[in-house]
Amino acid sequence: MTRRVAVTGIGVVAPGGIGATAFWDLLAAGRTATRGISLFDPEGLRSRIAAECDFDPYEHGLDAELCQHADRYIQFAVVAAGEAVRDAGLDTGVVDPWRTAVSLGSAVGGTTRLEQDYVLVSERGRRWDVDHRAADPQLHLAFSPSTLASVVAERFDARGPVQTVSTGCTSGLDAVGYAFHTIAEGRADVCVAGASDSPISPITMACFDAIKATSPNNDDPEHASRPFDAHRDGFVMGEGAAVLVLEEYEHARARGAEVLCEISGYATYGNAYHMTGLTSEGLEMARAIDTTLDQARIDPTAIDYVNAHGSGTRQNDRHETAAVKRSLGAHAYETPMSSIKSMVGHSLGAIGAIEVVACVLALKHQVVPPTANYETPDPECDLDYVPRTARPRKLNNVLSVGSGFGGFQSAVLLTGPGGRTR
Amino acid sequence: MSNRRTRRAAVTGIGVVAPNGLGTDAYGKSVGEGLGVLDLISREGCEHLPLRVAGEVRAFDPAALIEEKFLVQTDRFSHFAMAAAALALDDAGLGGDPAEPFSIGVVTAAGSGGGEFGQRELQKLWGQGSKFVGPYQSIAWFYAASTGQISIRGGFKGPCGVVASDEAGGLDSLAHAARAVRRGTDVMVVGAAEAPLAPYSMVCQLGYPELSTVDDPDRAYRPFTEKACGFVPAEGGALLVVEDETRARERGVPVRATVAGHAATFTGASRWAESREGLARAIRGALDEAGCAPEEIDVVFADALGVPEADRAEALAIADALGAHGTRVPVTAPKTGIGRAYCAAPVLDTVAAVLAMEQGRVPPTPNVFDICHDLDLVMSRARPTELRTALVLSRGLMGSNAALVVRRGDESAR
Amino acid sequence: MITTEVTFDELAALIKQAAGITVDPKELKQSADSPFDSFGLDSLGLLGIVGELENRYGRSLPPDSERCRTPQEFLNLVNSTLKAGA
Repeated sequence: MTRRVAVTGIGVVAPGGIGATAFWDLLAAGRTATRGISLFDPEGLRSRIAAECDFDPYEHGLDAELCQHADRYIQFAVVAAGEAVRDAGLDTGVVDPWRTAVSLGSAVGGTTRLEQDYVLVSERGRRWDVDHRAADPQLHLAFSPSTLASVVAERFDARGPVQTVSTGCTSGLDAVGYAFHTIAEGRADVCVAGASDSPISPITMACFDAIKATSPNNDDPEHASRPFDAHRDGFVMGEGAAVLVLEEYEHARARGAEVLCEISGYATYGNAYHMTGLTSEGLEMARAIDTTLDQARIDPTAIDYVNAHGSGTRQNDRHETAAVKRSLGAHAYETPMSSIKSMVGHSLGAIGAIEVVACVLALKHQVVPPTANYETPDPECDLDYVPRTARPRKLNNVLSVGSGFGGFQSAVLLTGPGGRTR
Repeated sequence: MSNRRTRRAAVTGIGVVAPNGLGTDAYGKSVGEGLGVLDLISREGCEHLPLRVAGEVRAFDPAALIEEKFLVQTDRFSHFAMAAAALALDDAGLGGDPAEPFSIGVVTAAGSGGGEFGQRELQKLWGQGSKFVGPYQSIAWFYAASTGQISIRGGFKGPCGVVASDEAGGLDSLAHAARAVRRGTDVMVVGAAEAPLAPYSMVCQLGYPELSTVDDPDRAYRPFTEKACGFVPAEGGALLVVEDETRARERGVPVRATVAGHAATFTGASRWAESREGLARAIRGALDEAGCAPEEIDVVFADALGVPEADRAEALAIADALGAHGTRVPVTAPKTGIGRAYCAAPVLDTVAAVLAMEQGRVPPTPNVFDICHDLDLVMSRARPTELRTALVLSRGLMGSNAALVVRRGDESAR
Repeated sequence: MITTEVTFDELAALIKQAAGITVDPKELKQSADSPFDSFGLDSLGLLGIVGELENRYGRSLPPDSERCRTPQEFLNLVNSTLKAGA
């Protein structure tokens, strides 16, 4: 059974833009939300910059329990899901809870809370035999990665398949992809799909310091995330969440919901190469792109925009450029490809979903968001990266691609509400 | 691709690293004998914690099964997973580099991640400074570590994934693999392994209201009895090779079982009374996908949480979904002998189900006597009987319910 | 101040400690111009060794130390840095 999968609602909590409108304003203006870390004192770290959300849970109607006790990444997800569900017009009673699924991704889950309590129970790293009496009695909620999907499912009364997806930095794309399968194959009619992460904490910053993956450009944080630029020097950590309501196409039509666009393909492969390393050929990401095109039965030339992983590390941007050229051939040179990580940073597991939402908005506005900070071409990255300024363009088929530690290579294909062409 | 509709997911390889046995045969023997191995936790730094009893994997030497570098580069949960995957691939006759890398994928379920590794690096960070955090922290702690390492070690480039849907995620991962096979991937390496018995990971689990803190190993985990006092955690797990049945038969390997049906629902964290309806619906969904009548179920591997309200809900769910057959069908919970290894628990149960069908006997439920529910729970010793179809149930502490139907290898050939 | 120099023996011990790979120091010395990956050491492993040396000697190594391709190249860089700082 293969059914069409519509997007009927979106919600987002991103650095510099909470809510779809503010988020799109940021992207369309090419503004960057990267800055010096304020969430903790980053002294001593190599990379002391990040894209942070100015987020107050009390402003978003969360109940006191969630505001006081839930982890930040859970709060992000609940707010983004609330916006998406409202956007889709899914009031209580509109859909059968047993036919409603949840698929949410997170790369590091409750790590930030786990670290905070670790500091207490270990007396700041002094003891291996930690003292449980100093721990928060709710700590198991940070320990269990499925808390994310569970809290969102409970809040929106989803009783169908509920899962948390954790494939590192492709978690967001894969969570949307699993949701796509769930609906296309008939296991649910509606799926609340997306991802959330709040990884700006000492342990996560330190672990990326240790592999020199993050930008050390602490003196100029606004311009530190430079995907595809010759002077790029690593990614800038981000945080946030994005959620989409995916819905079986006829189900959406029958209740008169607006179809924002369709998810028309999804694939993921492993590179079987290295936990952090990427090849210079991009064979596996190319294969993921090719598979989505096959699923949608369109030619590579039908792709109007590629939303890149574009993390701004030397190897990623080279790898991805090679992959897109391998799949799209000469058409790659005519296809705009941009990275919103230049503006909102890299929020690990969340970013894939944030980028899919950016694609939905790009389709809606018929505008390609830019790659901010792109100044100096790199001979190894020779495509059209939409430097600094958003560009109006007729968009119908849009690709979002991503790579994750562990070798994951994923692609999601979105098609405008008018349906497929070519 | 034209035969997508008819592609069936066959189990052709099994690898186990469990508290009661390293290797599938050793695990099967212990399960069949009803051996209980719950014991006081012996791992360093855990002695003072109010959680005293667990199912520990002892005498496990990762270097005997995987390269020594992984002892430094990954966590114990990945050691278990990689070792189990190696055993499963060997069992399936799939050693060596794959001829078609994109035809083999990997999916694991993970509920606790690389907690011991993470605690060591947290200790370096907070005790010594950020420059003392090592480079492998970035790839060892996160939930995707095992899938990535198995994929890289084997050269598997097919669809790779990770589900983290609490305990029931173990069954979800098997369904995920079966669906990937139905969509066209030839082989999936699938399962879960957990290593939650490190000091800080244990502190994190203390908040679960369902956790048993009884310190007598024989009394700590006794589901379905009036003395039920919660569950006991465990480490270890199992990986399986699931592949297109036609391909398996063509290459002449035994089909040990087929993954016939699955369904999952959600009824809220710790709302055990409501899990009755959720679990019953999951069972009906799994039977429906398998094209299986309730009477065809020959044995049920229960979730057996050990919380009175949850045990009652499960007994009622079995009756709701299977009707009168629900009170007659043999039910078992071999996990009372080893504890619940979170996502790996239902995967180990699935392995026990496959072995039970192969050997024609329902394994017993260790440490459980005098049950207080209307179930035919197999206790004390294994019960010989022909088994063609098994139902495996799982519920997660965060509210997921899942059911999986597996059929004996020779059943689908008919 | 004592002039320190990292030897092949020490490098072999570091490879074991930081990346879990056993390398015979004699072989390391004999094949000092072979790429690190021929010993099974990847970029993360070398990053770990750089970090360990920086912590041990309280001094930063040049920014791209982990890009050294061979043991000889790496030891030359490390030892010239330590000497210069001494």
